[in-house]
Amino acid sequence: MNKENIRLRVNKRDYQLEIAPNRLLLDVLRQDLGLTGSKRGCDDSSCGACTVLVDGEPQMACLMLAVSYQDCEITTIEGIACEGQLEPLQRAFCDEGGAQCGYCTPGMILTARHLLAHNPRPTDQEINEALSGNLCRCTGYVQIIASVRKAIELLEKQESGVAAAGQGG
Amino acid sequence: MSLPSFEVVRPRTLEGALEELERHGPDAQMIAGGTDLVPSLKQGLFSPRVLVDLKGVRELDFIRFDREAGLELGALTTITRLAQSPVVAEYFPVLQAAAKTVASPLLRNMGTLGGNLCLDTRCLYYNQSAFWRESLGYCLKKEGTVCHVAPGSSVCWAVFSGDTAPALMTLAATVRLASPRGEREIPLRELYVNDGWVRLTKRHDEILTAVRIPLSSAGWKGTYKKLRIRNSIDYPLAGVAVAMRWASDGVCQDVRIALTAVNPAPRLVEAAARLKGKRYDPSLVDEVAHEAIRTAKPLRTSASTMEYRRHMVRVFVRRALNEVWANGPHC
Repeated sequence: MNKENIRLRVNKRDYQLEIAPNRLLLDVLRQDLGLTGSKRGCDDSSCGACTVLVDGEPQMACLMLAVSYQDCEITTIEGIACEGQLEPLQRAFCDEGGAQCGYCTPGMILTARHLLAHNPRPTDQEINEALSGNLCRCTGYVQIIASVRKAIELLEKQESGVAAAGQGG
Repeated sequence: MSLPSFEVVRPRTLEGALEELERHGPDAQMIAGGTDLVPSLKQGLFSPRVLVDLKGVRELDFIRFDREAGLELGALTTITRLAQSPVVAEYFPVLQAAAKTVASPLLRNMGTLGGNLCLDTRCLYYNQSAFWRESLGYCLKKEGTVCHVAPGSSVCWAVFSGDTAPALMTLAATVRLASPRGEREIPLRELYVNDGWVRLTKRHDEILTAVRIPLSSAGWKGTYKKLRIRNSIDYPLAGVAVAMRWASDGVCQDVRIALTAVNPAPRLVEAAARLKGKRYDPSLVDEVAHEAIRTAKPLRTSASTMEYRRHMVRVFVRRALNEVWANGPHC
């Protein structure tokens, strides 16, 4: 099988790669780019452990042929912390016990990030629905929902802090 | 699991995609969202030499509502976009209800309408690894000679498991198929063949480009009921779509009921005609719900029993009709 020269844009960095066309994005991320935050869980498109953001939208890297996503902005869990500071969702998952074994956590956080970007004040029902494609076998989901709630609080504080600083200046 | 070897071609226009399909013939397969095909490739159910990736054919990604032509949906419309479309929500509620139940949010972000309509049929004895299937001597749908669901059967009983097809059938939708010979438009129900192996009347070099819902179906009340083990991710074990138009006095002017996941093809329930011209009547609803079972022939293609799935067809037809009809005229 002939390899193809492709470019991928992951976490705002451009990569040039020579890969076989049957390589899954999940494998390219983990094996070629060393980004092992995205997990292989079920490998049959059920569990969501491999979730990455494609142009901001959560999708499953275990279903994606890397050669077909060259025009997209891909974000993995490694790409959401800002200047060494954990993102509010990451902090909330730590504080609220949203991660136990941690295997589903990158997918949960990325999916929740998309939810909060489009719906900053979701109801519990909306959080449940948004996360219904990401399976967790440890937490029973209670702490995960609590973590998302906590992240909303942190984000609101951050916003009011920014607004206050703006007024002060 | 790793994928077999193949090349990927990425045309940017419909014309280019048709050329690729023609050039590579039976060696080629189409891929769009990949949610149906990629897991099957991992299981060795297909071994294409070339994948024609349709994601770059942006001309097939649209939702257009025209007051004369009706609603047109491009085949590349993702299920998420379909479920979130304000036009679909307002005028075609049965379609929105069905779209919202497809798989999971992540899969809806990837899966397309065209893919959902052309979904491969599914069976307990087919959607398994190559090792698993080999140990059983394969099956009628793939490499074998015996149908393990119905030994002696000359047709394959794998079920069609799409959710949007039954909803679109209740709205009298048509589909457009493009090929190097030109374009043809057929009623959606004529796209399907009630044999799990044959599946579709679409030819190998044809691309399903769009779905059209006539304006006469706009505004029909409707709903979709789906049986599955988990409330997300799973394919349906049975699905019932109902769409109805009633007059202000509550008399049913027209109605269609369609079933999915209980036959190799999605199918309309003929007994729905008994409701036309009638006022809401619980015993009439029961009668039609009971008759609907005749259209459902689920066999042992899934982990659930056929008795339960058939029973739930009856329950769902009753619930769906009650939901759209009993409360409607009085609200």
